[in-house]
Amino acid sequence: MRGATRLLQRLARTLLVVLLVVVGSTLLMRFAPGYLSDAREMDARYAGAARIELSAEAARSGTLWQLLSNEMHAWTKGSLGLSRQYDVPVLQLIGPRLAVTGSLMLRSIVLAWTLALCASLLSSAGRNPSMLWQAPAAVLLAVPTAAMATLSLLAGSGGPVLVMTLLLAARDFKFLDRTLRTAWRDPCLLQARAQGIPALRLVRAHILPGIRPQLLALATLSIVTALGALVPVEVIFNVPGVGQLAWNAAMNRDLPVLLAVTMIMAIAVTLAGMTSDRSIDWQAA
Amino acid sequence: MRARRLALWALLGLVLAAAAVVWAPNSSYSNQDRDLPLAGASVHHPAGTDALGRDRMVRVAAALLLGLAGAVAAAAATTLAAAAVGALSAFSPAALGAAGMMVCDVFLALPWLFLLMMVRSALPLTTSPGSSAAITFFVLAALGWPACARAVYRGAVNLKHAEWMLQARAGGLRPSQMLRHVMPNLMPLLVPQFLISIPAFIMAEANLGALGLGIGEPLPSWGGMLAELDSSAMLLQTRWVYLPIALLILVLLLVEAISVEARP
Repeated sequence: MRGATRLLQRLARTLLVVLLVVVGSTLLMRFAPGYLSDAREMDARYAGAARIELSAEAARSGTLWQLLSNEMHAWTKGSLGLSRQYDVPVLQLIGPRLAVTGSLMLRSIVLAWTLALCASLLSSAGRNPSMLWQAPAAVLLAVPTAAMATLSLLAGSGGPVLVMTLLLAARDFKFLDRTLRTAWRDPCLLQARAQGIPALRLVRAHILPGIRPQLLALATLSIVTALGALVPVEVIFNVPGVGQLAWNAAMNRDLPVLLAVTMIMAIAVTLAGMTSDRSIDWQAA
Repeated sequence: MRARRLALWALLGLVLAAAAVVWAPNSSYSNQDRDLPLAGASVHHPAGTDALGRDRMVRVAAALLLGLAGAVAAAAATTLAAAAVGALSAFSPAALGAAGMMVCDVFLALPWLFLLMMVRSALPLTTSPGSSAAITFFVLAALGWPACARAVYRGAVNLKHAEWMLQARAGGLRPSQMLRHVMPNLMPLLVPQFLISIPAFIMAEANLGALGLGIGEPLPSWGGMLAELDSSAMLLQTRWVYLPIALLILVLLLVEAISVEARP
């Protein structure tokens, strides 16, 4: 009963966070200093009177209440609003791209986790952190995603999955190496090693179950990091995903599309966070 | 500790060298040598020129100073905001504290790059380069505080329940007096947060600039110069286009080396 109540409380909190994200993003967008300016106002082909009418129209349809109600109406209808650039429902634009982005993220996260876990298991077996493992991770973390993607493109080797994998693996490795090092220092594990129990068995039966909460937290962090890397990678490699759509919308001031993408990402992050928290609760129970 | 000191001296040396290049007589990051676009290294232009004939060395040095100054200012603002929100939430009534942390949760749920793009794209069409630089770092600071505020909140709650604090409260210490004692105890948490934020903000600006949403031209920035790498014609002309990225990685490694030993 208590578990169900806690689950309901957590769900309610998640819903409240999502609602606040929607309202907050809409407010932020509405009060951004250039919200009411339209690229058409810079077009010399429009007469002065037409330009004045354009800004007056934007001001009329840009009241906060109207904007919020339009946004809510579009979300309840399921269209997610109307794209200013393409004049089609935002859902039509986002739908096919979600699969591309999802596949890119899933492949990158799985590969990065495999790479980071193998590297950190090997690295943490040593007594002190070795430069052989630490130095490549430090260098990879110091390269901005856009630069890494551009260099990979220029070198003609690798692709979006490789760049995202390297970025995520470097971050995951740093976290996993520290966690595994702490786990190996546990007195019961030191004794088990001294007794000659194989390291692989200790990892499988003791270490991995013991660090499950940290792994779940890292899973959420991986999703957040992947979302951050998504835009530069998709733009530079010309991957037709949500990140590229968001960049395109930002360059063309298509704010309804950008708002919808931001909110979908926010919901994904919130749900991922909630799932990992829930799993920790289940484990604790 | 020795590595940290070395990194600090190396970074200081780089900053001084960059300042000397930028403030040398007759050097300007926006001056164009129209006869020498995409020139290689020469006496007049030690690192060549860019596609518009501007001295690459001066531009890289100016980008280093601008990027570091902006990131340090944004990190300071972020840390101050986080300290204020975290400490006030911990020491205010429970409902207010929960509301403060809810605001943090809302910000943490928003993917920062998408939010940055949204704010940057909604700026007026006629934003000046100086304003675009200020706005970029201001937005970074405005979005960077919640994670730090959560850490400060946790630290402040621990302090609130510490024995010396309970005794002080029982002895009638006022909240304003309590905060005066709490802040120095939070410094070991705030200093690493400040140092961690600097490379994060430099990297964020570089990523935004490479996407064309960062600091406006003709102001030089890491991101703007990374965007140059998109032109393969330019890469064939001169290898000096790789200078900004090499220097950016060096700066980030040095800042990371300085911050790594300050972490708890």
